[in-house]
Amino acid sequence: MSNFKDAQNKAHPNKTNTLMSALIVILILNVSMQIWLLYTGLNNALGQNRDIALPAFIASLVLFLIGFFWLYFLPMGYRKNKKK
Amino acid sequence: MSDQTEKEPNWKQDFPIERTQSTKVSRRDFARFLCLVSGGLAAGSAYVAVKANFFPPEEVKGEHFVCKAMEVPLGGTRSFVVEGSNIPYILIRLEDGNWRAYEQKCTHLSCAVYYKPGSGQIVCPCHEGFFDAMTGEVLAGPPPRPLPALEVLLNGDDVYVKAASPGHNKNITLKT
Repeated sequence: MSNFKDAQNKAHPNKTNTLMSALIVILILNVSMQIWLLYTGLNNALGQNRDIALPAFIASLVLFLIGFFWLYFLPMGYRKNKKK
Repeated sequence: MSDQTEKEPNWKQDFPIERTQSTKVSRRDFARFLCLVSGGLAAGSAYVAVKANFFPPEEVKGEHFVCKAMEVPLGGTRSFVVEGSNIPYILIRLEDGNWRAYEQKCTHLSCAVYYKPGSGQIVCPCHEGFFDAMTGEVLAGPPPRPLPALEVLLNGDDVYVKAASPGHNKNITLKT
């Protein structure tokens, strides 16, 4: 029985190539935003402004979860089923 | 065991990883690594949030004697440490007679700052950070925050410091 991953793995290499690039670009964007959030949260916490740290953490966690579930769409390429 | 394995030298059986496999990072692995970094950053933010909300830094309690006023000339400074803490502070007697006390650690990368006599500026020599000696505010350079200040009190000829009043970042102007 075929599912989404099977269909994706059989897709044309051009398609998986584009998908992979898009995935990586979005992950890099997420990480960039998280670096900014960590910097801002830390800077404000050290400057006795503690209200920023918690929202920054929540936003960072949401971005991580997005990135984590994003990996489901990672093309796995052709699986080697043949055993020597 | 297959015939091929028998032909391979022993070291290949012990370390059956090809050179390309050990040196090449696929885009798939890179995406997974980015996700790992993302998790690390989220954990870092969690640490900052917990530390800021549940373990705030302790403030200086009570008044602490630093030195006699006559020991510090106009434009002069004196380093001191408050009892029960190892944070270095710097006491400054400005040219106009005002007293100021700041943490001696630059808010950029914790280098020791010093007062430049006659300029009204506190300087961090590491990366050319400049602070206003009157207020502790950043004038130039990479420091992201003002220098944490203490309030200076004069009791006769004795100089005392205490924690800056809440909502009052700047020291009270006291003239001798």
